[in-house]
Amino acid sequence: MLTGSKTTFKVRQMVPDMKERMLSHSSVNARGRDVLGLCCLPGECVLQRAVLVRKKLSANEGGGWLSGTLFCTHFRVAFVPQNSRKPDENTDPVLLGDHDVALASIDKVVAVGPSRSKLVTPNCTLKFTPEELVLYCRDLRVLCFLFDRLTPDTQAVEITYTIAKTYQPLKPGTILSFQNAALGSIEMKQFLSNRRRDLDMNWFECSSDWEQELERTGATGWRVCSVNDRFEMSTSLPRFNVVPQRVLDTELKKTFAHFNEGRIPRWCWRHPCGSDLLRMASFQNNIYHEKDDIRNLELVLFGGQQLCVIVDLGEEVPSPADIQLAHTRLQTLCLGDISSSVSVPDDKWLSTLETTRWLDYTRCCLRKATEVACLLRGGHMTVVLQEPEDRDMNCVVCSLVQVMCDPHCRTVAGFQGLLQKEWITAGHKFLSRINYNRDSDKEEAPVFLLFLDCVWQLWVQYPARFQLTEDYLLTLHDSVHLPLFSSCLANCQRDRCRRSQHLPQSYTPVNGLRELPMGPSEEPVDPPFPPVWDWALQYSSQRRARFTQPVSQPVCAPPVLNGNLNTNVDRSWHNDGLPGSVFLLSRSSFSCPSNLLPWRSGNSGSYWKSHRRAPSSEGLSGLERLIRAYSLSETSDSTTTLHDPYEPLLPLLLGPCVRVWRGCYLRGALHAQAFSHPMSSCNQHPLEQLAREVQQLRDKLAQASDRPPENQSKRQELRRLESNLNQNANNGTFLFSSSSRTSQQQPLAGRGPAQSSILPRAQRTASDPPRAAQRNNGKHTFLFGHQESQSVPRYMPTPSAKFPKHKGNSH
Amino acid sequence: MEKQQSSGSDSPALPPVLPRKPRTIGGGNSASRQDSVDSIDSPTGSHVEWCKQLIAATISSQISGTLPPEAVTRECKFQDSGEEHGYQCDSDSELPSRTPQVFGGVRRQAPMDEVPLFPGETIKTTVKDVMYICPFTGAVTGTLTVTDYKLYFISLERDTPFVLDVNLGAISRLETISVQSHGENTNGMEIVCKDMRSPRFAHKKEEQSKLEILDTLTKHAFPLSNDLPLFAFQYKEEFPEDGWKVYDPVAEYKRMGLPNESWTINKSNINYEVCNTYPALFVTPTSIKDDEIKRMASFRAKHRIPVLSWIHPETQATIVRCSQPMVGPTDHRCKEDEHYLQTIVDANAQSHKLTIFDARQYTVADNHKAKDGGYENENFYPNMELNFLEMPNIHVMRESLRKLKEVVYPTIDELHWHSAIDATHWLEYIRLLLAGAARIADKVESSKCSVVVHCSDGWDRTAQLTSLSMLMLDSYYRTLRGFQVLLEKEWISFGHKFAARVGHGDENHSNSERSPLFVQFIDCVWQMMRQFPTAFEFNELFLITILDHLYSCLFGTFLYNSEQERVEKKVNSKTVSLWSYVNSLPEDFSNPFYVDYENHVLYPLASIRHLELWVGYYVRWNPRMRPQMPVHQNLKELLYLRAELQRKVEELQKEVSSSRSISSSSEHAYSPSHGGTPLHTSV
Repeated sequence: MLTGSKTTFKVRQMVPDMKERMLSHSSVNARGRDVLGLCCLPGECVLQRAVLVRKKLSANEGGGWLSGTLFCTHFRVAFVPQNSRKPDENTDPVLLGDHDVALASIDKVVAVGPSRSKLVTPNCTLKFTPEELVLYCRDLRVLCFLFDRLTPDTQAVEITYTIAKTYQPLKPGTILSFQNAALGSIEMKQFLSNRRRDLDMNWFECSSDWEQELERTGATGWRVCSVNDRFEMSTSLPRFNVVPQRVLDTELKKTFAHFNEGRIPRWCWRHPCGSDLLRMASFQNNIYHEKDDIRNLELVLFGGQQLCVIVDLGEEVPSPADIQLAHTRLQTLCLGDISSSVSVPDDKWLSTLETTRWLDYTRCCLRKATEVACLLRGGHMTVVLQEPEDRDMNCVVCSLVQVMCDPHCRTVAGFQGLLQKEWITAGHKFLSRINYNRDSDKEEAPVFLLFLDCVWQLWVQYPARFQLTEDYLLTLHDSVHLPLFSSCLANCQRDRCRRSQHLPQSYTPVNGLRELPMGPSEEPVDPPFPPVWDWALQYSSQRRARFTQPVSQPVCAPPVLNGNLNTNVDRSWHNDGLPGSVFLLSRSSFSCPSNLLPWRSGNSGSYWKSHRRAPSSEGLSGLERLIRAYSLSETSDSTTTLHDPYEPLLPLLLGPCVRVWRGCYLRGALHAQAFSHPMSSCNQHPLEQLAREVQQLRDKLAQASDRPPENQSKRQELRRLESNLNQNANNGTFLFSSSSRTSQQQPLAGRGPAQSSILPRAQRTASDPPRAAQRNNGKHTFLFGHQESQSVPRYMPTPSAKFPKHKGNSH
Repeated sequence: MEKQQSSGSDSPALPPVLPRKPRTIGGGNSASRQDSVDSIDSPTGSHVEWCKQLIAATISSQISGTLPPEAVTRECKFQDSGEEHGYQCDSDSELPSRTPQVFGGVRRQAPMDEVPLFPGETIKTTVKDVMYICPFTGAVTGTLTVTDYKLYFISLERDTPFVLDVNLGAISRLETISVQSHGENTNGMEIVCKDMRSPRFAHKKEEQSKLEILDTLTKHAFPLSNDLPLFAFQYKEEFPEDGWKVYDPVAEYKRMGLPNESWTINKSNINYEVCNTYPALFVTPTSIKDDEIKRMASFRAKHRIPVLSWIHPETQATIVRCSQPMVGPTDHRCKEDEHYLQTIVDANAQSHKLTIFDARQYTVADNHKAKDGGYENENFYPNMELNFLEMPNIHVMRESLRKLKEVVYPTIDELHWHSAIDATHWLEYIRLLLAGAARIADKVESSKCSVVVHCSDGWDRTAQLTSLSMLMLDSYYRTLRGFQVLLEKEWISFGHKFAARVGHGDENHSNSERSPLFVQFIDCVWQMMRQFPTAFEFNELFLITILDHLYSCLFGTFLYNSEQERVEKKVNSKTVSLWSYVNSLPEDFSNPFYVDYENHVLYPLASIRHLELWVGYYVRWNPRMRPQMPVHQNLKELLYLRAELQRKVEELQKEVSSSRSISSSSEHAYSPSHGGTPLHTSV
């Protein structure tokens, strides 16, 4: 395979000898196949392989080095550790193993030689045999592979070339071939078309989804309207929107014209105190306001409430361009200048970090969201977020508010529902903002990543209040960089629906495509894209297990549907009796500019006189008190704060409190080592240790309860003991609120986690083995097991003879 | 410090009710102050919620490691809400009985209008209608009391009593300030503290008491300048543990396997005649005779000859500390010294080299030659390799901490927070220190090579470096007791000049001898703790407590400059040791997730990217830094749950095995905490 001298290799055209270079195809097997030790996806083929490679493990993974074999396929760079367990033939295909990186995530390939390092591009020539291969990824990971002296030089060189030539710089054509490599085979397509959706989360795709949300939040006076069912009223809005009950569809249709892109005020969420959160685009100003229109517009804005606060997100918050610039700087700072391998000197690190302004922007978003969250506590008002386009910062702030205020949004299912609601169906322009196709450089802006950072800030300040973990956020962060998921491959719901309906038309096949071996089907058809939430498709179960806290959150009782709301709300400010006051919240202060609502401003004329009045100063001061309550609460959290689950999580925003997401941005900081020793941070969270022990104890209890099956009475006793234990847990440590156990509304989640894990275990030996296996792997164990709803695998593993053995070993 | 607030409050009851003591000092100090300082808030309690969060903490994040213990102290806040109290007790009922008592006790025993006093503490003066100008929440008026140990301010103006408690030892200087904005005829007073805060008070001019208070304060804040004894000599608390017994040099050397054939415990300094800043006992090579030692002593600055600090249990590589050689401008030599160092090389069979780490910057070391100091000339020490760690001197450190204080107190400029921290260089020096210590540890561990560490006098940077590298190398020092031994040995007995560096009871705040070297060392320990959250048996509260009592003069542990002085002043018999207090409440200061990584060497990452400002210490006075959860308390409860489960399992197993003969499988011993995955180290 070598051409040229020992140390210089000519780059060859990749396509002609592709066939020849392929070491193997995976067979046509729906489950994928084991090729040279690599468990391939169906249709995936190994292009190059290098043995005796060591992978540098990140601090998260425990540091140190792991030896194994490195593969390059059409889809990914895979690393198989030496003594990894043979993958089970029956498991579903998983796109990325724990040590793999998708080619589309790779940003730069650097080969490090004895004395120098070189950025390897598809057309360059290496003049040395690489000793080390460093892959810089778009998601800020840095993977570092070390070739052993025993690695054949050819392998080291060839795999470097292969990766350099096959990793896809994101462009329309390469994207498609990448997508095909991952999902394009017939088997994959079949597999994907049979995937069941995650039913735990709300997809917000049909009207019942929205109704469910209305019910969940206890919102009354609102209805789901389907006037946009065919995207005729607004192309970027979802098919279903929630509007006040009192507005008829015919009336509503007239309001679309008054808003930029037809993005009318839509209901998003109701605070338990009774305020509603809405979002909208800016007003169309050059439009005549009919008297009837005005009534409808007011109705749409006010819902059933007397007061409306418009929160202007047009200014103060960073623009997409700002965010893009900040992120680019942050990336440079964290990865260093790759080509020159120069990084910011240590003593300038903090100041340089500051000049990226990334943390400022994070703080700014959080501050805005905090204000809104406090405002909502007032009750009896609509808070309307307004942004010219309603597709960027509105998404950020609107969803942050809900994460702060609604415990449901801090669970994985709730968070995913939230993102469906406020980002994906709401028309955040993922495709342009992420810019997979490199065709919208001007629009590129990692608004979503900024949001994730904000959520992480909240998480790091209140880890106990989240069911999801940092691992989850990190994984989501990485997945967004993969152009494989329907969730992020469109700018709005309309595009998404279109592609799923007319697959063939929406993309033109690319010429080179046919040359890609794709199994028996040579038809270049777009693969069906799964939603990003299909985690089982993407990552191993061990990795997914880390998405949630071992102990689930107490589920709070749903809010009372009517009556008895707002019992302790300070009502002083809405006593001014005049319905229809509207205020603007901007720069942390309230005002009442005359042109706030265009139809109320002097010129439009048809606004009836009776409504024109001086802004009530009483109302203003009342509102300001609400916001001030926030700054106060920074110093003093009232007794209610921690007891009321709906009390917002107000983040501390002081300088030292907004931090760098080291776990994400500094994953690649290889140069940070004190010296050449493998680094020795503890890989395991200290609590994992304890969690494991508790789990072991629980297992032991379960085991004891299982052993004498004939002895029913004993078992009963055990149960009783266990429930006593739970009791203890409840009283002694407040692991779970007692309300959660009695709550009948969510039978699954409502059960105390401890119970849910113990009781089924006694009954269900079959599903025990995976747990035992997990333990054997030493990967991750759970304190009290996950809610059962999550541990029900999509495919039940067939119980095999192996399992009992495992179990035996583990004990 | 305010901590005393809580501590104080408990203290009256202390002796009889041991259980509740815990909070007294440690807990109170760090956190309670916050609440009291600014918060008007009601005491929340929400213990229940915390407990829930604990779990969260469980899994979640590193944060738990770093969380300031202050949270705990929130409990101690003053509250009178009976309801809440009831609630807590309720919630605690199933916990080990101690906790509820603590909370309950605190509240019951702290009547709002009384100043809580330590045994032996007396009130010196009380002034009413003093205004505390709080930088965070505005001025409050209340009563100021000065005792011989602390300054105690309480205001009942707001819903929640507001308490400020500053122990006099922490006061660096008192200043009169102009407070025109708070009314004519008003005098202002600023109390600049060593622990990163400067409370300000204002009071009416007419009152005679005004002068009185400043005088009393000055007198008792700087007792040594006013011919008064330090408060430690009046403190009468009794603890079940005797902290003075923690460190026994012979036992500690024995633990290291000394004496052995190459090293011996030398008694020539028993009367502090060889070196008056060294301890009575130290370890030298066996083959070196006492008269040789006496001859070479003059060649080392302050007679601080090379003595053993630590020996590797397997390789016999040693860490040796000393002061700079008195080389002088003429490259003076000393045969005995050369011979001595060669003996050290010979004592280690694994290596024929000796590495000398000079902590100073090369240029500085070179300049010292003009002052008769200098560094080893490699020509005269053939098997030596000399490294400079380029660490700036104590004055630079003092300046750095001063700048840091400006950045963190009272207000924080959030827009320029990071660059402001950068400008202080504090983290940069922390990095230098960690990197230097890691180099030393690496030399000893990986190259199996003995090292000699010195700076100029061998009591500042040398102590920092040797103790840090010993902490990295020897897991014993990462235990609660072991760390105490480490401090007693490397810092206290080897003559780190605590009295001079801290300025206990001394008025002269601008003394250039003062420098926060010990703070810097503790900061490094904290950084390591953050990077290796399970490797240390003690917790952050322990470190904060140490730093608080570094200044407080409540305990005798950190008083005076050398062992000789301490013996003269009879510190051991006349004062209480900090370790008496700590070891009487070990569970308050322990890390529940401690896993004994025996024989594992910890190499912290020494890069600013991986260091963090120790917000829990430096910024703790800022009420906006209120921590979100009291992880400290919570973890304990998780431990309790584990113990409970463990008990159940044992019971069940007994039950099961008695009911039917059980296969051996059920007996697999459950290994408690030590089954963890090993650290990845280069061991």
